[in-house]
Amino acid sequence: MIPECKKQSGGCDDSWPPVRGDYIVGNPTARVAVVTLASQIRIDGAAISGPCKTENLGVEKIVANVISNCNIRFLLICGAESKGHLPGNTILALHRNGIDDRGRIVGSKGAIPFIQNLPPNAVERFQSQVELIDRIGLEDRAQIEHLIKTHNALLEPYPQEPFPIAIRRTRSVQVLSGKGDLLLGSGVVMDAIAWLVMEEEIAAEG
Amino acid sequence: MFRFKREQSVVNVSGVKFGGQPGELPTVLCGTIFYQGHKIVQDEELGLFDHEAAEVLICRQAELSEETGCPAVLHIYARTTEAFERYLDFAEQVWSGPVIIDSADHAVRAKMAEQVSELGYADRTIYNSISLATTEAEAQAIKDCEVDSAIILAYNPAEPGVDGALHILETGGAVKEKGLIVLAKELGIANLLIDPGVVPLGSGSGTALRFSIAAKARFGLPVGSGIHNAVSAWPWLKSREAQTKRCCDAAANAMQLLAAGDFLLYGPIENAEFIFPAAAMADIMVAEAVRDLDISPVPVHPLHKLV
Repeated sequence: MIPECKKQSGGCDDSWPPVRGDYIVGNPTARVAVVTLASQIRIDGAAISGPCKTENLGVEKIVANVISNCNIRFLLICGAESKGHLPGNTILALHRNGIDDRGRIVGSKGAIPFIQNLPPNAVERFQSQVELIDRIGLEDRAQIEHLIKTHNALLEPYPQEPFPIAIRRTRSVQVLSGKGDLLLGSGVVMDAIAWLVMEEEIAAEG
Repeated sequence: MFRFKREQSVVNVSGVKFGGQPGELPTVLCGTIFYQGHKIVQDEELGLFDHEAAEVLICRQAELSEETGCPAVLHIYARTTEAFERYLDFAEQVWSGPVIIDSADHAVRAKMAEQVSELGYADRTIYNSISLATTEAEAQAIKDCEVDSAIILAYNPAEPGVDGALHILETGGAVKEKGLIVLAKELGIANLLIDPGVVPLGSGSGTALRFSIAAKARFGLPVGSGIHNAVSAWPWLKSREAQTKRCCDAAANAMQLLAAGDFLLYGPIENAEFIFPAAAMADIMVAEAVRDLDISPVPVHPLHKLV
């Protein structure tokens, strides 16, 4: 059975949005999130709004902040596309096709379209929680706010708990010994790959 | 400070030398002009700009380079090939040193390489960049042109961290059939400059620093970065005063320099005013730190010019 979205919590944790970035938080209970791509447009009426200029880390942040608030049911993509990076095209591709087993966003025309810090089920959740409103190129604030107002009146909150966001951390490796390929002088060397500083004698022992 | 056990190669692009042991050569400083949002540009598509203001900026970078001893490179960003033609035509009149050619659009980058070759500027040009994003068409254009210097971007989103960046250079990791170093050589690139690709603070920006040392230890090639991007993409800093931002920018660049950086893509060319003194100061300190490690700074080093 799918648990219903917590009414008490307002559809998201108090700490929402979980990922920091260049955005403005509006009304967290609104149904619409807005990404203005390469344009800086001050928007009222949305749950969250801000630009996105990159097709990897920028898109990841949007997904993380959208799926961690089940009130959000629409993602309005507007503003000027960021040339070369194509984050707008990439969000559309992510929603339509998802990612492959290497994390590459299938069908994106962006330069380096990868999801690296989110699990695959986060992408699935993004696909099922929100509908995209593709208005890439639209920069007129009045028209954008009209779209927000219209869509804020549609749909109920997504009927699940907010998706818990845990940013993937790089695996740490315990290094017990290393080679001294970097000399610091005074009998001290360093293994530049392992970032291990040691006395020359220890390095020689391996 | 430190000295690498592996021999460190020195890349020479039109008289400007990159690489070597830390403390040996001054850091090469690359200021960007005509970047996205640059106030002197009136039309990014057509490449219309304020010539007088551009000349002042380029000449000021050259003056600071002459004064400090840190070599300068002009990093030209263009949105379109039409814009690039205008930028290059202008740059030729006021700048005789190396040029980095750059665009967010791979098709524009490819055309830039063709244009500089046709005009006879290939030996002064550094292609930015060969990366995971390099398409087959772009690779063919690089192979067909006469440019033989390039920045190799080690950004590997499928495997974040130092190991992932090394893998994309050596083997291609999980996302490329072959390593970028091999690919670059196959495309006729003789002068390779390694760039880790700097991500925002909180997303692993510091990795670039450790990678720089690891990459020099492993490959012996010149390494540098656009660490300025970590500063400019920091939302918290955006509301702070300009002076505060400049301090952070100078600190970040000095950190990259301390982490064995051979060149700095220091961002907007306007920043030359404070980046050149900061880099020269860091160069002096590094040179002094390795004085007893059998490393001698070259005669034009800031150590000999400014103290």
